[in-house]
Amino acid sequence: MSGAGIPPRLKRWIFTWVPIAWIVLELATYPKDNSISVGFAEIVKGFFSSSVAGYPAYALLLLGVIVLAVGAVALVRPRKGRRLPAALLILGAEFFVWGLWAAGLPGSFSISGRPSSLAWLFQTVAIVLIGACVWVWAQTNPERAELMVWNTRQIWKLYRGNWQGMVGLWILVFFVLVALLAPFLAAHSYLNPTASVGPAFSGPSGAYYKWFGTSELGQSVLAEWIWSTRISLVVGLMATLISTVIGAAIGIAAGYYGRWTGETLMRLTDVFLVIPWLPLAMVLAAAWGTNYMIIMLIIAVTSWPGTSRVVRSQVLAVKELPFIERARAIGSSNLHIMRKHILPNVFAIIFANTILVVAIAILSETTLSFLGLGDPLRFSWGTMLHYVWASGGSNLPSTRLYVLAPGLAIVAVVLAFTFMGTAFDEVLDPKLRKREESTGGPRAADSGASTPLTGLETPPSASGSLPAHLDAMGTSETTEGGRS
Amino acid sequence: MDKRRYFTKRVLNALLTIVLVASFNFVLFNILPGNPARLLLPKGRFQADMIQKQMHAFHLDQPLWKQFAYYWVDTPELKFGYSWKEKRPVTEVVGERIWPTVLLVGTGTLLATIIGFVTGVFAGWRRNSTYDLVSTNTGMVLYSMPTFWVAMLFIMFFSVDLGWFPVGKMQTPGIVYAGWLAEFTDILHHLILPAAMFAITYAAEYHLIMRSSLTGVMKEDFVLTARAKGLSDDNVLWHHVVPNALLPSVTLIMMNFGFVLSGAILVETVFDWPGLGLLSWESLSNRDFPVLRAVFLLAAIAVILFNLVADIMYYYLDPRVKA
Repeated sequence: MSGAGIPPRLKRWIFTWVPIAWIVLELATYPKDNSISVGFAEIVKGFFSSSVAGYPAYALLLLGVIVLAVGAVALVRPRKGRRLPAALLILGAEFFVWGLWAAGLPGSFSISGRPSSLAWLFQTVAIVLIGACVWVWAQTNPERAELMVWNTRQIWKLYRGNWQGMVGLWILVFFVLVALLAPFLAAHSYLNPTASVGPAFSGPSGAYYKWFGTSELGQSVLAEWIWSTRISLVVGLMATLISTVIGAAIGIAAGYYGRWTGETLMRLTDVFLVIPWLPLAMVLAAAWGTNYMIIMLIIAVTSWPGTSRVVRSQVLAVKELPFIERARAIGSSNLHIMRKHILPNVFAIIFANTILVVAIAILSETTLSFLGLGDPLRFSWGTMLHYVWASGGSNLPSTRLYVLAPGLAIVAVVLAFTFMGTAFDEVLDPKLRKREESTGGPRAADSGASTPLTGLETPPSASGSLPAHLDAMGTSETTEGGRS
Repeated sequence: MDKRRYFTKRVLNALLTIVLVASFNFVLFNILPGNPARLLLPKGRFQADMIQKQMHAFHLDQPLWKQFAYYWVDTPELKFGYSWKEKRPVTEVVGERIWPTVLLVGTGTLLATIIGFVTGVFAGWRRNSTYDLVSTNTGMVLYSMPTFWVAMLFIMFFSVDLGWFPVGKMQTPGIVYAGWLAEFTDILHHLILPAAMFAITYAAEYHLIMRSSLTGVMKEDFVLTARAKGLSDDNVLWHHVVPNALLPSVTLIMMNFGFVLSGAILVETVFDWPGLGLLSWESLSNRDFPVLRAVFLLAAIAVILFNLVADIMYYYLDPRVKA
């Protein structure tokens, strides 16, 4: 493969991000029970050790089948470039074989997900293949690749100038690092109920595992805190992903199809919007049981209506644009119009909204866990607060850090996502950007003249504007409510 | 729009949503895994007559469609069956918990509205000033805090460290009051901390809403006109900007009223305040599904009703709707 048609910047991106993605994947699947004291040699050895990946095999099989299907469909359809489908097929086959193999072939076929000694190889191959897919795609569509690079760079330029966005990003980077490096920061075995490092509720002291004091069982609060980062982030992100997919799909459909379908979908959204999420989540958690997969689902099920409302109001505006008329005139199907014309135009708002939903999802997870509905086998920040509160230790002077550490982490992460969401809102929405430029309070006339107001290179807004979900609830709700 | 048509449409809409939510409530407790009869009954050992009572109350011996029909007969009559923990009708159990919640939530919301409005108006008016920067970013931090965590910190600091307020509950346990004044003072003493906590977290939200709404209004041409006429800053703010900015905020805050019940769950749980929030948490931990079902319905209907009130208020506040 020669990279003749590939934008050089994209080439550099691929060479940067493929290794980073590989490291992230390896860290995320690093065996939990290797302790920090084992040393750096073990870290290296860990990639080759006998239990690198504990993926559930059915997930991999499913992924393999899906990718294979996509590749096969793309191969059958008349298209000029066949290399992308081919790469996808290889990727799918790779996941498929890996899944089968992890599932216990050639022995008896079971989907228990047996840890495998060569899993790291598969991960590496997968990551490299994904990079190759992007490479091939860029080669077949050089113009679009160029456009993507240009767009990304413009957005990043704007984003970089927004101090809130950057603060949010750095906070997030910190917590993601803590989550990824958890096996090296604290041994997972310290989370066992029997692994006590001191008397119950003892205050912080110099020893590493006692920095934050001990829990009601004498466990290390620091170790709990570090491993909580993983669950809190993963649950927040996955719940958001599910919620966004549901919300965006329903929002686009409700906006695009007028009349019957749209009305029915909006009525459904309204019902979910008025159902108070916390009681609903409590009932669902009580009924379905509590493990973190179910918590994810519950949060997703209760948080999608906001997204779908925001998306719908945007779709209603996009639908009226002339190019949709044109697409319909030349006979495009509804599905095609929604996918190729509507989705790209509302993608910005979906993206900005998604980041804000992450903040809400993390808060929701914390709330549910605090009420004792969290996964009893895993720690999250909410679970930690639940334990300290339920055991009556929250009022002792020695547990200050036990209460403060998870709480401050939640505030920091939620704030980071809120900041990032607001920043993306401003970067992606030209209207908001203009608002920031033109209104400077009552003294706008005096101070406005001195600041340059030129297009994209505007100075960053100095203050936080409203998170989109608040705004969306306010303005769109009332304006749409008045619609008849 | 015609006034009668507007109101009819709103009320019908609200009724339809209530019907849908109530149906959802029925479905929700019927799709739970396992036999609904078991879910609506206590876990473990229980008496046979209790089963009979419960089976009868929920018509569980009937086919599903009949159960659904009975549900529609019983719910408007407020028959929700028996709380198996308290061994009393659910209506009674829920009824006595309503007033503490209204007291707490009412006081908190009132405070939150006043604080949020005033700080938000000034932040929006002097946008990008130091005051705006500080107050709005404080608001965002407060908005990011889990409610229950703030409550824990409040108790830790004000009750345990400083000893100014009691740790929880609505009244001092086992107290005999000398008169109504003593009772009033005691309840007030218990109320201050949770209400203040409630107020602060919601005020942050209202602050952000008010500020954003003010920003939107200040872009409008009539503000420029008012300024061009040579009106004073105060006049422009209070007579031109604020009345227009109030519109969306008032509606939003009215709708938020409905949601405070679920907000109360956390505050009441941490402060041990004997309201609906604590009740739903207790029934959750006891798996007291009949009570949970009633509270759930009550919470949803509260939201719908406040939505309706917001729509009606909007009609009177915004002259454009009438035109």
